[in-house]
Amino acid sequence: MRHRSRAIDLWDRFGLLTIVLVSWLVFALFADGFTSDFNIFSVGRAVAVSVVIGLAQMVVIATGGMNISVGAIGGVSAMFTGWLLEGVGVPVPIAILGGIGMGAALGAINGIVIVRTGINSFIITLGTASVFSGLMYVVTKVQAFRNLPPDFIDLGQTRWLGVSPLVWAMVLTCAFLWFLYRGTTLGRQMLATGANPRTARLSGVPVNRIIAVTHMLSGALAGLAGVMLLLRIGSAIPTIGGDWVLPSFAAPAVGGTLLSGGVVSVVGTFIGGLLLATIGNGLTLLNVPNFWVELTTGLVLLLAVLLDRARTLAVLRSRTGVQQPAAAPAAAKVEM
Amino acid sequence: MREVGRPAGTSDAADDTSSPVPQPPVDRDDLQTPALLEVKGLRKAFPGVQALGGVSLRLRAGEALALVGENGAGKSTLIKCLTGLYQPDEGEMLLEGKAERFRSPQDAFDHGIAVVPQERNLVPQFTAGENIMLESLPKRRGIMIDYDRVHREAQKWLDMLGVDIDSRVPASSLSVAQMQLVEIARAISRESRILLLDEPTASISPHETQTLFSVIRALRTRGVAIIFVSHKLEEVFELCDHVAVLRDGRNAGPQAAITDLDRNQLITLMVGRVQVVHELKPRTDGHGAPLLELRGLTSESGAQDVSLTLSRGEILGLYGLVGAGRSELAKSIIGADRVLSGQVLVDGKAVRITGPGDALRHGIGYVPEDRKYQGLIGIHSVMSNISITIWQKLQNLVGWVGGRSERAAVSPMVGKLDIKTPSLSTAVDSLSGGNQQKVSLAKWLTAGVKILIIDEPTVGIDVRTKASIHELIWDLASEGLAILLISSDMPEMIRLADRVAVMRGGRVLGDLANDHDYARMSQQIIGLIH
Amino acid sequence: MNRPVRNFIRAESFPLLVVVVLAGAGLAVLRPEFTKEFNLYVLLFDISGSMLVAFSQMMVIATGGMSLAVGATGGLSAVLAAGLMVSYGVPVEVAVVVGLLAGIAMGFANGFLTVKTGINPFIITLATSAAYEGTNFGITSSNPYYDLPTQFTDFGQARTSLFPHPLLISILVAVALGFVLYRTVIGRSILAVGGNARAAEMAGIHVGRTIVIAHVISGFLAALGGLMLMARLGNGSPTIGSQWLLPSFATVLIGGALLAGGKVSITGAILGCALLALIANGLVIFRADPYWVTFLEGALILAAVGLNQLRSTSTRQSIRPRPQAQPMPATK
Repeated sequence: MRHRSRAIDLWDRFGLLTIVLVSWLVFALFADGFTSDFNIFSVGRAVAVSVVIGLAQMVVIATGGMNISVGAIGGVSAMFTGWLLEGVGVPVPIAILGGIGMGAALGAINGIVIVRTGINSFIITLGTASVFSGLMYVVTKVQAFRNLPPDFIDLGQTRWLGVSPLVWAMVLTCAFLWFLYRGTTLGRQMLATGANPRTARLSGVPVNRIIAVTHMLSGALAGLAGVMLLLRIGSAIPTIGGDWVLPSFAAPAVGGTLLSGGVVSVVGTFIGGLLLATIGNGLTLLNVPNFWVELTTGLVLLLAVLLDRARTLAVLRSRTGVQQPAAAPAAAKVEM
Repeated sequence: MREVGRPAGTSDAADDTSSPVPQPPVDRDDLQTPALLEVKGLRKAFPGVQALGGVSLRLRAGEALALVGENGAGKSTLIKCLTGLYQPDEGEMLLEGKAERFRSPQDAFDHGIAVVPQERNLVPQFTAGENIMLESLPKRRGIMIDYDRVHREAQKWLDMLGVDIDSRVPASSLSVAQMQLVEIARAISRESRILLLDEPTASISPHETQTLFSVIRALRTRGVAIIFVSHKLEEVFELCDHVAVLRDGRNAGPQAAITDLDRNQLITLMVGRVQVVHELKPRTDGHGAPLLELRGLTSESGAQDVSLTLSRGEILGLYGLVGAGRSELAKSIIGADRVLSGQVLVDGKAVRITGPGDALRHGIGYVPEDRKYQGLIGIHSVMSNISITIWQKLQNLVGWVGGRSERAAVSPMVGKLDIKTPSLSTAVDSLSGGNQQKVSLAKWLTAGVKILIIDEPTVGIDVRTKASIHELIWDLASEGLAILLISSDMPEMIRLADRVAVMRGGRVLGDLANDHDYARMSQQIIGLIH
Repeated sequence: MNRPVRNFIRAESFPLLVVVVLAGAGLAVLRPEFTKEFNLYVLLFDISGSMLVAFSQMMVIATGGMSLAVGATGGLSAVLAAGLMVSYGVPVEVAVVVGLLAGIAMGFANGFLTVKTGINPFIITLATSAAYEGTNFGITSSNPYYDLPTQFTDFGQARTSLFPHPLLISILVAVALGFVLYRTVIGRSILAVGGNARAAEMAGIHVGRTIVIAHVISGFLAALGGLMLMARLGNGSPTIGSQWLLPSFATVLIGGALLAGGKVSITGAILGCALLALIANGLVIFRADPYWVTFLEGALILAAVGLNQLRSTSTRQSIRPRPQAQPMPATK
């Protein structure tokens, strides 16, 4: 039998949630207005955006790659939606779909270039990030769209069943991805590709197509996040997405999605996004200057990866007879 | 779960032999000269496998000792113990009479034991000279590397070997044989007294082999002792003066002078006798029209003009040494490696297989040799590893692969193959080697393939599980599967195959009907290769 | 043709040199204002600054790693030195030394965490860069330190006709790095680890220590770059370094370095810096939209890795070391 210590089991099950609850408790006690109805509504919207950004990165991490261009795609999609609404005047739903579609298209470009050249996704998406943003700056002349139609603005302010439509969008996205990884061929082929591309390929998984599709999905999610942020702030400004890279990695990493690929936790990423947005909001209410939030996010990310490493080592140590240090402790799981 | 390594001296394949192997005469002379290196009773176990079960060796200065044995006999484990990569569990290594333990390859190197491994081990961007001197680059005034001296000294070592390599050319522009020579130069530059060469001639030309041999002979006159690992027996006879044969992790007889043995005796020592295990049920050989037919298949990865036919219910063995191009042929059949010319016919129809997914649609599956990196997804569950081939088939309209239908498809297979796992959601990593191999097989059986290519199914698997995997392969053929069995394990091959195709250098040299007479078949097969 | 000339033409950086010379010549012919002394001075200053940034990234890439923290390290080091000079009246020399030491410490932290945890350097430096940048904004409250001592800013802005004096530092650094990489054991170890970590380890090189040293050198160079830029700007802006990430990769990769490690080119990196500076300068001279720079930097990265890929598949296919089953944890 292999024994995993109780401490590790407890940590796996409740660790992250406990941290979130403790942070809520701390902020509720010390930050005035944290529990106010308005603040909860506003935190909800921030959480929604932050989670979807994390998911956009998570899907690529799950296949063993990374996407540095999530922010660039989010920014381009937000601007494109802004232009559709203000410049063209299309109906709101079409503009939203247009933004998501733009994201998917840019993601597909990433995917195709990565698969065709066989170069690693870091450097390709670092390059395309700058290509996408650069083109957007040139095309828009770095002008914001500030006069978005009122029914679009309203969508960002209204409540459906007591919470913002952004939260519903996030919940639906999480459910969709959970479903994808939990039980669809595509999702499971993505995980197989991420865990061991050679085995996946020899088992008949079309690895290249899977990678390309994953990048398209990541682009669509980044596009969605861009549109959601647009709804939240009410105007399309070209700097949207400029600071997404860090939180996009932090949310899934905190949530236990392995950077080496093959393992994914939609719920973990949700909790990760929740934690990051909560900390951001709480610190603001405590009048901690905004820039400390970045420091905190960086430290949270560092702590998350270090804890995960320590946990892996602890599991290995408690396991007898298994020599390979690279072996991961448990089967890929999608939790809910 | 930890599998208990079987205690020393329990029944092993060697003990199961029906009659004793003829023992070569003991070399009296050998026992009187002092040994440079003496290995006594070395044992090393891995979870579930006793890789070395008490191996002894003697090596004198200036001697060339051949280390031979079938795949899995323990040669590479022994080399790794000698060079500090593994720590032996038991036994002694005496260097000039002094007991030593090597903590790392570096430590062994410092003690004068150098290895030229099978894979090249140079920094490709650096020059030959710098690679030779890398460990102790000569410096001027303490910090600045003196490249004139680097190249002067490196060139001196290269010249001493009598090879025509310029110390200033980058390692990346050298041929494989030249890289080996550079590694040898590195070893002698550190005054290594013992040089291990692991299959040095596997991927170099006959002409280069002769250059290598003259270098080795020159080193011997300088007192360097050589341990030469090779499958090519003619090289052993040409180069070495003593031979140690390993079989199943032990010495197959005492170390002998090469002149006391002839070729046939050596082969007999290597392969031993077929172990007596449960008789396999009688089975009719392949029948009917060929299911898989290759016509003049040539692939980018090295298969050369291969023609083979495989019928329903038949086990076709593909025997050859490491590097003979068998796995490459298999990967070309399933479209993982590019086919340059020739035809693949499935069920009599010419098909163009574009990749493993396409091969699956044509009913062909491939169980790779390298379970860990190609056969399994270690961190994923048993269920996921088996059902990977049928996700497409199981999914409903919205793409959902339901837990129940998946379980229903996988469970019977786990039962049928007797896969021992705590649950279907256990990570494959935590199963034993034999059960992992069964999982790797199960995914294709679940997909209902008609043709199964199985590559080295029992490497690193203990004797008992090996027998059960043999039965499994046998039963699958009885059920009508066409099986292409790739193996370097002679007893396995002769036990299971209906016919044996022998490969070397990407070509099929011959196709022998197997009469299951071990002595005759093994002589025939090895005769074809060597 | 004699041997040195032939070698010169065959050098890997030669095509890039031709491109840079042609680009410069083209600008000079098309636009007379390009050759004005002040414009050339600005161009050379840009190059001297970006050289240090490029070298900082290059040292880590040489080991097969990467650092996203180059900009944050440069920024925080500069701001620390500025704070000491402005708020505490610390002498310029001392403040500069402290700034450089801070860079070294940050580089050490990056290297140490990468090696000790075995987590890939991307994620480690992503996290540390946020920490450094956050600290930077925390210290400055997003406001630049004005009123830097003139002794400090004078040096940054000094020039002799079209040659900025800081260029001298960059050239010295380039020569020193060339010496370290190609003439000292530590430099060779850095390249050996990047080229084949296993072979390096077998040859007695301490892989972990070597990676840490590469990060330390990288941190030092980033700090030097940050200080130099601050001296030129004349104020301790918290945004120093925030735009370095992309050019740091672009210049090094255009220069012919392999992202996998083991091969870098100092000349190539300098030419990469020159090319990027010429593009930016050209866009200004032609009054083109400056945002094309962002686009072109990205396009250059893609072109550079694409070309490297072509070069390696066409010439090195047969001799590439076999992929190893288990990659070294630190150089993933």
